[in-house]
Amino acid sequence: MTTNPDGQASNYTKTLLAGLWRENPVFRLLLGMCPTLAVTAAVKPALTMGCCVIFVLVCSNIMVSLMRNLLKPHLRILMFTLTISTFVTIADLLLKAFQPAMSEALGPYVPLIIVNCVIICRAEACASKNPMLTSIIDAFGMGIGFTLTLCVLAGVREVIGTGKFFDIRVMPDAFVPWAALTMPVGAFLTLGFLLAAANIISKKHS
Amino acid sequence: MDTVYILITGFLSVVLINNLVLTKFLGICPYLGVSGRIDMAFGMGLAVTFVMTLSGTLTWLIDHMILMPLGLEVTRYVCFILVIASAVQLVEMYLRKFFPPLYESFGIFLPLITTNCAILGLCLFLNLWGTESLLEAVVLSVGGGIGFTMAICIMAGIRENLMMVDVPEPLQGAPITLITAGILSLAFMGFAGII
Amino acid sequence: MRSIKHFFEQSWLLIVASFFFGLLIAVTNAALSARIAWNATAKLNTLAGGLLPSATKFTPLDETIDIVARGGKPQALQLYRATDNGETVGWIFTAVGSGFADKIELVVAVNGDLQSLAGFVILASNETPGFGDRIKEDGFRNQFKGVPAGELVISNSGEPGTVVTISGATVSSTAVIETLSHYLTQVKEQMQQKGLVDHDDES
Repeated sequence: MTTNPDGQASNYTKTLLAGLWRENPVFRLLLGMCPTLAVTAAVKPALTMGCCVIFVLVCSNIMVSLMRNLLKPHLRILMFTLTISTFVTIADLLLKAFQPAMSEALGPYVPLIIVNCVIICRAEACASKNPMLTSIIDAFGMGIGFTLTLCVLAGVREVIGTGKFFDIRVMPDAFVPWAALTMPVGAFLTLGFLLAAANIISKKHS
Repeated sequence: MDTVYILITGFLSVVLINNLVLTKFLGICPYLGVSGRIDMAFGMGLAVTFVMTLSGTLTWLIDHMILMPLGLEVTRYVCFILVIASAVQLVEMYLRKFFPPLYESFGIFLPLITTNCAILGLCLFLNLWGTESLLEAVVLSVGGGIGFTMAICIMAGIRENLMMVDVPEPLQGAPITLITAGILSLAFMGFAGII
Repeated sequence: MRSIKHFFEQSWLLIVASFFFGLLIAVTNAALSARIAWNATAKLNTLAGGLLPSATKFTPLDETIDIVARGGKPQALQLYRATDNGETVGWIFTAVGSGFADKIELVVAVNGDLQSLAGFVILASNETPGFGDRIKEDGFRNQFKGVPAGELVISNSGEPGTVVTISGATVSSTAVIETLSHYLTQVKEQMQQKGLVDHDDES
């Protein structure tokens, strides 16, 4: 690794941008599918979920990075789980206190962030090997990439499924909403076709 | 009689109508990853059913015997995930020691199960559904596992046939699996009115 | 002795971290629990206000009343008195019933004399979308306005004073009706015993 500041900075940018496309957790790595499908019936819950994931990801990456030299190999996963579940509990409490309506809409999918593979995968692959700053930047990159993907999926489903975007009507009155897209079947189909689209785009680039 | 009726409707509901995979999106990762071959899928399903029953029962007991009387509900998530992780470890150790052939066949799936959202999801849903008795908790946990096994086996059966089909290139792999899952969940929606 | 030392060498981080995280959760919970409780009350008040539009103030009753919850467990029920310029216009309480392998929570409003139902709203439920959750629809809920408080009568003809279930959501809608009946009869009896409202005219 280069020591001059420019090289360092460009490395950070690279890490940040990796999560957005090259290593996008949903499209490229197929991680964290459960919340991706469950909370994307509308944009608002998807955005809230994304913010929760960013919060948990950043906090747990900081903690794991701090204790990376003290970790015993066989207790590693246990420590990760403990860290993540603590921050998820805190995120859940914050959500209940400041966004009660959203907390109800997301329901059990907030605690399910604990088993979101994105977080444990970043703790293992990045935070347990890198210093704090890199880990934080990586967490932000991954988190934002995850949130954007969620919002794209939710946007498609909300606009076509209800004719609204962020609860504001955007489609002409003559448009009949495809209610099926807000149901489970819509989640699977939309994600399937978006993945196919991502495949086509990445193929064109290479 | 009333209890039996509640148990049967609860069981059918968690297997067919509120199927964890197809309506609650839990356990999608193994659902996409391990559904390539039907024998692997069945092994995974059995392992999940086993761990789910064990951890569903244990977490219900801990929730009702320790956390609720002491007012420690706020630590519920931490406790649940620790119980699941240790249950998985114990099962893995037990199988390796006493049933080596069984361990050979589905032991490889066990470490994956800790991060299977279906398990933690079911434990949380048991709490959310207001499960009143231990018996109900056990029945719903077994039902959740059977529902998962059923969904993953159906998917594996379809995917084995998909091997012989000419799928357009961008759709190959995960996309076509997701679209198939979508159509399956559409089929499962038909069960919604039966009870 | 050696094994104990080995144990601590291996796991001290885990033990320290457990204490630290426990503390972290406790602090967050202590800081936020007041606000979470306040949110719940605010939500109850908004929902109750929609059911009893004439009421201007909801005050919790000093004493709770003892009833048997659905499932047979004893429960201390908190009632709220809805008043308009000091005059009682209704009573509010929450009821919990089990639906489709699921818990349904209702906010129930009864008129001031406890003789008729003012309505109910679903506080929380997880019923199947498109089927069971039709219990949230106005068409189902409006038929409860003004029916005699007590054991509710299910009929298919829709006569006045009776209620109809939803076909396709029979379990969920029956659960709502049974929960209402279960709570209303007990609440009425207890309230009359305590002398908070008058006895029925017939008795």
